[in-house]
Amino acid sequence: MRSADYVIKRGFFALVTIFVAITINFFLFRVLPGNAITDLSRVPHASPALRHALLVEFGLDKPKWQQYLIYLNNLAHGNMGISFANQQPVSHLLIADLKNTIPMVTVGTVAAIIVGVFTGVLSAWRRGSAPDHISTNLAIFFYAFPTQWLGLMLLILFAGILPAGGMSDPFLFTAEPFWQHLADIAKHMILPAATLMLTAYGSYTLVVRSSMLETLGEDYVLTARAKGLPVRRIVWRHAVRNALLPLVTLIALELGFIVGGALLVEVIFSWPGIGLAMYTAIGQRDYPMLQGGFLILTVSVIVLNFLADLLYFRLDPRITT
Amino acid sequence: MTLPLQDPLLATEGLGMPPRRHGFLRGVLRERKAAVIGLAIITFFILLSVIAPYISPYSATAQTCAVYAPPSARHWLGCDDGGIDMLSELMQGGRISLVVGFAATFVAMVIGGGIGILSGYFGGGTDTVLMRVTDYLLVIPDLVFALVIADIWGPSLFHVIIVIGILEWTATARIIRAQVMSLKERVYVKRAKAIGSGHARIISRHILPQVGPLLMANTVLTVAIAIYLETALAFLGLEDPTVTTWGTILEHAFERTAISSGAWWAIVPDGFAIAILIVGCFLLGQAIEDALNPRLKVAHLSVRRWRIRPLAGRGPEAI
Amino acid sequence: MSLLEVSDLHVWFDLPQGQQVHAVRGVNFALDPGERFGLVGESGCGKTTTILALMGLLPPTASASGEVRVDGHNILAGGEDSARGYRWKDIAMVFQGAMNALNPVKKVGWQIAEPMAFHGIAQGAAARRRAGELLEMVGIQAAAAERYPHEFSGGMRQRASIAMALACQPRILLADEPTTALDVMVQAQILDLLTRLSSELGLALVLVTHDLPVVAQTCERAAVMYAGEIVEYGPMEMLFHQPRHPYTRLLFEATPDLYGDSEVVSIGGAPPRLDRPMAGCPFQPRCDVVLDRCAEEHPALRLVGPGHEAACHHTERAGST
Repeated sequence: MRSADYVIKRGFFALVTIFVAITINFFLFRVLPGNAITDLSRVPHASPALRHALLVEFGLDKPKWQQYLIYLNNLAHGNMGISFANQQPVSHLLIADLKNTIPMVTVGTVAAIIVGVFTGVLSAWRRGSAPDHISTNLAIFFYAFPTQWLGLMLLILFAGILPAGGMSDPFLFTAEPFWQHLADIAKHMILPAATLMLTAYGSYTLVVRSSMLETLGEDYVLTARAKGLPVRRIVWRHAVRNALLPLVTLIALELGFIVGGALLVEVIFSWPGIGLAMYTAIGQRDYPMLQGGFLILTVSVIVLNFLADLLYFRLDPRITT
Repeated sequence: MTLPLQDPLLATEGLGMPPRRHGFLRGVLRERKAAVIGLAIITFFILLSVIAPYISPYSATAQTCAVYAPPSARHWLGCDDGGIDMLSELMQGGRISLVVGFAATFVAMVIGGGIGILSGYFGGGTDTVLMRVTDYLLVIPDLVFALVIADIWGPSLFHVIIVIGILEWTATARIIRAQVMSLKERVYVKRAKAIGSGHARIISRHILPQVGPLLMANTVLTVAIAIYLETALAFLGLEDPTVTTWGTILEHAFERTAISSGAWWAIVPDGFAIAILIVGCFLLGQAIEDALNPRLKVAHLSVRRWRIRPLAGRGPEAI
Repeated sequence: MSLLEVSDLHVWFDLPQGQQVHAVRGVNFALDPGERFGLVGESGCGKTTTILALMGLLPPTASASGEVRVDGHNILAGGEDSARGYRWKDIAMVFQGAMNALNPVKKVGWQIAEPMAFHGIAQGAAARRRAGELLEMVGIQAAAAERYPHEFSGGMRQRASIAMALACQPRILLADEPTTALDVMVQAQILDLLTRLSSELGLALVLVTHDLPVVAQTCERAAVMYAGEIVEYGPMEMLFHQPRHPYTRLLFEATPDLYGDSEVVSIGGAPPRLDRPMAGCPFQPRCDVVLDRCAEEHPALRLVGPGHEAACHHTERAGST
């Protein structure tokens, strides 16, 4: 069956890529600089007993290839070592951080997609007009401004009006009703998500516009017009679907950009997510956190790529395995 | 209906001769305003960087005014947290950013172009292996990877250049490969093979010149990405702190509370400088790419409509 | 009053530099229900533009004048807006190259049913059922409605396009090169289908093609177009056996005869440019019986037999019938 074949094939590819990423991770942290810097057992201020336990756990006194196998085994059990900074298991810390990152990034990216599609479609439809030029140039500029600069600008503009940092008001009692807590988080999420949206939407606009222009020249659009259908309907129900396909591909290709953008946004707005965790880890020389964070982010991108593959497959009936 | 646009590059295809590329860039500049603007912007910044030390009003390293002094007649863009003139800093900061951008792009182009040509030309096993490698590297998130490398190897400009170069070659490789694969099938390449030309000769004489414009477009676009990455890495504290680049200017502003001090001049002009240069690269690169893929179709839907008009006279002589 | 009456139809296209191309120059013809009418000519003679203009399917660079009357109503009177009201319900089209005339991401059945629903002919399940019936009528299994266009062969796609064109029961069907890019066997089937539908449903059919055998097989009457004008029209028999315009004669002679041993004749030269005013007969540079007056005086269409007119100065001397 066409669907099962495709899912299996792409799923397999994703798994292999995850495996490659894991290997690269190992290579980066254990092989390249050697144990001197990134030795997982060298937790500062830790007891000798803890250090020894880690040494044994990760086989740090054994040859590299054995370490690799131990590393794989540990990963399978979700063990990524102990954070140098606070002696907590890395995986627990990172999962908690990831839970904070995901909503913010999702809101920002979805907003970027919606804005990108609307502006792209309208630009293509009104090609050559003033709104088209304005919209396209705005898209280019917002895409060109560094993400961190956009964040700083939003901070400057909205400093008094919207919360400037953190995920929630530290002075809010946890006994407060759930909805109020949620609203508080939402308010804090506005600026970081808006920054992400502004930095990401530009490329979406351009790609949607370009593929809409292509689609509007296709014969089936003339057919739709010949059927007596109104322009609005042709654009949104006949043309857009075709034009979205390159957008899905672009989003998948730019996931790395989103991750980087999210990192910068979290730093600026002190949003307690995995990006901020990695940034802090740099300052604290917390290598296990860095290693774990890199792995989780890379695996996330791979998984999202796989999902994008599936989505594209669903949207385009012409794809066979 | 619409008079078909003859791509002059394709006109000679049927004769088994390679199309002429000599006037290509000049042609693009003549036809597309965007390309001219893009090239003008890039040239402006390059020139500015070259003459910056001579025309900077003040030093870019020594203090010449009060901390976070606002813009004034003497200091057009105010001063930063160290009392250094902002305008001078911007001018000189551009030099390093540009150098990093171009150097990193050079690395990426050499690797990416090389792999793309080899992969596209030889195909088969070579292609599969190289493309698999590319696929795996494509998924690694750029900034995170750069962050990790820069942290392990230590912050330095050289490391930044290498890291960006390593990150960016994959996209180029894919694009070049695609074009080489189609070029391989062209008549003049097959003819060269038939008369026994060696691989190196075919690649250097027939493939490379045709790939040139695409490589050029890609180079320009990669410069934009390289500069973008450089500012991000600097912002995260992964660049040599003693050096002033556009990226470190933003990092200083963030770290040293420019916002709460209300010192917008330490932030806004810097961002615009970066953005304008990136837009310039984008305009030029995109214009070249568009010229290589002319879109010949007319849109079937448009806001404007066809018109009914009154007639004078009848038959073919009517107007 | 005929079902379809085209009176003095002109179409101009704007060129980027400001000039205009006078692509259709005063075309007249009329059709009754059940009639099959051919419009023949080489590429660029304006035949496609003519039938697009019949439905008002012109690009924004076009301007038109003249009348296209369906049951007495001039559908071009109000430009695009008035023409749209007649599309698919009164007059429908089968496009050249059905490869792209069908939307690749929508099921074929949906594409047939959608105009039915939009124009209020049938909704939902009834529309789907009717789509299946239409497919059966053109020789495709009803179940194929659930498939996508790329799953169809070229011939099947063309049939599906015909079924789609008949969805809202139009009385006039325009077919633009319906058999180009199909192999000969399939061509014959498609033409048979069109002939059958025209007699069974009483459809008036306008068949546009550069391929003479196609017209000869299907149409009762035909018009030969050259440089935007009709240079001869009449019953198929007369055109074939007694052409009165040199171009018509040369066209028939240029068609290779499978069994005969006549030489293949080609017509030297090229059609005239349509962006400049023309003096005299448009065909005179390539005509083999050209006279002096042909360069100065434009020949009008003159009656040369029952229902048979030709625009050539030679018809004057020969007299009618």
